[in-house]
Amino acid sequence: MNIQDNYLKNKKNIFFTENEDVENHRKKLINIFEKDRFDKKNNESLKNVNLKNFLDFNYKYLVPEETSVINNNHDNSYSIVSVNGQCASFKDDKIEITKILDEDYNDFSKNDTIEKNDHFVNLNSLFLNSGFKIIIKKNNNIKIKISNIITDDDLTIFQKNNYICEDGSSLNLIEEFENKNNSTSNILNVIKLEKNSQLNHFLIQDNAPDHNLIITTHSSCKKDSIYNQKVYNFSEGYVRNFHYSELIETNSEADLQGIFFLKDNNTSNNKTFVKHLAENCKSNQVYKGILNDHSKATYFSNTHVDQEAQKTEGYQLSKGILLSDNASYFSKPELKIYADDVKCSHGSTIGPIDENAIFYLRSRGMSKIAATKILISSFINEELSSIDNEQMSEKIQKKLVRYLSQVK
Amino acid sequence: MFLEIQDLSVKIENKNILKGLNLNINKGEVHAIMGPNGCGKSTLANVLAGKEDYEILNGKINFKDNDLFDLNIEERAQEGMFLAFQYPVEIPGVNITPFLHSAINSKRKRMNEEEIDNLSFAKLLKSKASDLGINIDMLKRSVNTGFSGGEKKRYEILQMSILNPDLAILDETDSGLDIDALKIVTDGVNKLKTKDNSFLIITHYQKLLDYIKPDYVHVMVNGSIVKSGGSEIAVEIEKDGFQKFQ
Repeated sequence: MNIQDNYLKNKKNIFFTENEDVENHRKKLINIFEKDRFDKKNNESLKNVNLKNFLDFNYKYLVPEETSVINNNHDNSYSIVSVNGQCASFKDDKIEITKILDEDYNDFSKNDTIEKNDHFVNLNSLFLNSGFKIIIKKNNNIKIKISNIITDDDLTIFQKNNYICEDGSSLNLIEEFENKNNSTSNILNVIKLEKNSQLNHFLIQDNAPDHNLIITTHSSCKKDSIYNQKVYNFSEGYVRNFHYSELIETNSEADLQGIFFLKDNNTSNNKTFVKHLAENCKSNQVYKGILNDHSKATYFSNTHVDQEAQKTEGYQLSKGILLSDNASYFSKPELKIYADDVKCSHGSTIGPIDENAIFYLRSRGMSKIAATKILISSFINEELSSIDNEQMSEKIQKKLVRYLSQVK
Repeated sequence: MFLEIQDLSVKIENKNILKGLNLNINKGEVHAIMGPNGCGKSTLANVLAGKEDYEILNGKINFKDNDLFDLNIEERAQEGMFLAFQYPVEIPGVNITPFLHSAINSKRKRMNEEEIDNLSFAKLLKSKASDLGINIDMLKRSVNTGFSGGEKKRYEILQMSILNPDLAILDETDSGLDIDALKIVTDGVNKLKTKDNSFLIITHYQKLLDYIKPDYVHVMVNGSIVKSGGSEIAVEIEKDGFQKFQ
């Protein structure tokens, strides 16, 4: 079945089909699919992707019977269990949660930062069947933990979430993805940071081999706002992390970091993109990967500095350890600079574990396997030691120990 | 015999480095090997420690009644062999204290000795560091990371004093050290010397041997030992160089 037929057949389950602007946008998307035919050669977002998994999907979506749970823990922290991409509405004097609206869809569809041929984002817009909007009200300091649960096998979740941090607000957001069933989540987070606000966004990904996770973030930062993102990918199933940031007003910052741990035949595709559109903004893009067995990864990093964006500081770094001769990690850093007073750099180092370091540690009596494990831990030490949430730190340590236990 | 090397020939990447080398070291002895650049001194140190890049063409090495080639790198260390590296490796993110604690316990485990607990180890480390003039703050850092050349060498000696080896191989420990650092490092070595342990000191210069008195000095040229004797050989080399031995 082609994309259009699939769409028409399932229209009743898809959001905003009554909205004319949405439908016009979707017609354009269908045209792109028809023309492009998922040509891998000219589309870096499709590198290493097993397209069969995504094009031949049977659209199946279940609306959850029970609404999601939200607890106000009375210390400015909230726990949300988002079932099949849904979240119940909630409102207090600090936050407001509603369903995603068609106006949010239309607002995002006008943005041109994400490539027109990013088919996963286009599929998300076309088959949208879930999502929510969270507003952090002015000058509040909030913590939110979201557990993303998929209830059944064979489900395909196309979810769009909007986060708005109003002036002077601060949000610590932990998103957990720990799905065990055979399903696909295609999630687009659209984040708006108003003046002087901050979002620290942690994504912990640990899905079973049969779950595919495609997650895309688009954040935009106004004056003096900061977006920090840290991705920890321990999934045994396919994960795509594509994260875009636009620094639209002065003195704003984006820090996009990720670490991934791959084994067996697993694949992970990663991309970060920061668009500097105003003066005195800073960005940092750092991804580190550890790849075992026949696993594969890609990482595209991109810094775009607009002509107006003088005094920009933009850094990129990718590092990888290949634990097997059969593992591969393709990294491509890019800088496009149109301003003349900027500090930008990029670097990439990928290779096997340092044999000299292994020899040094073994010469002190440590076994080869213990030396390998200690070097892997040290490779990501900076990322792990910077976690200031004890519960999250423990959780990630446990996942690391599990990964290391399978390193031979 | 404590260490017995018989007719050892070794190559790396199709280049023969050691060519029929013989060397015997008894318990309690200090041996020095001197030789020009590229004669195979560091290769010998690395082969003894078990580095796997080398191909053993011929020969036997016995260490404490073990065939050394039957032991892998860590087993040699656990049996009491220690190599102080010429270029200690920087390992960012691996903290010195837990690393050394784990190293000492792996040795104790092999020797069927009780493992040393955190508190006792911290005390031991602090006292050994203080003996070597090592600032306690340095012990909070990552292994060799951001250390000066002198700090790296001092840290090698600290590790040696903690692990208390039966045979310590010092590969050009004097290189890159100023006179004060050299004195601290050699004092550390001298404090460790007992009748039960042995040292193999690899150096270019006689200076180091002014501070650590060897029982035997060997001249190594082109992959084998061409002359052995006492301290007078070091003096001869300092005066005339290695030319006459080649």
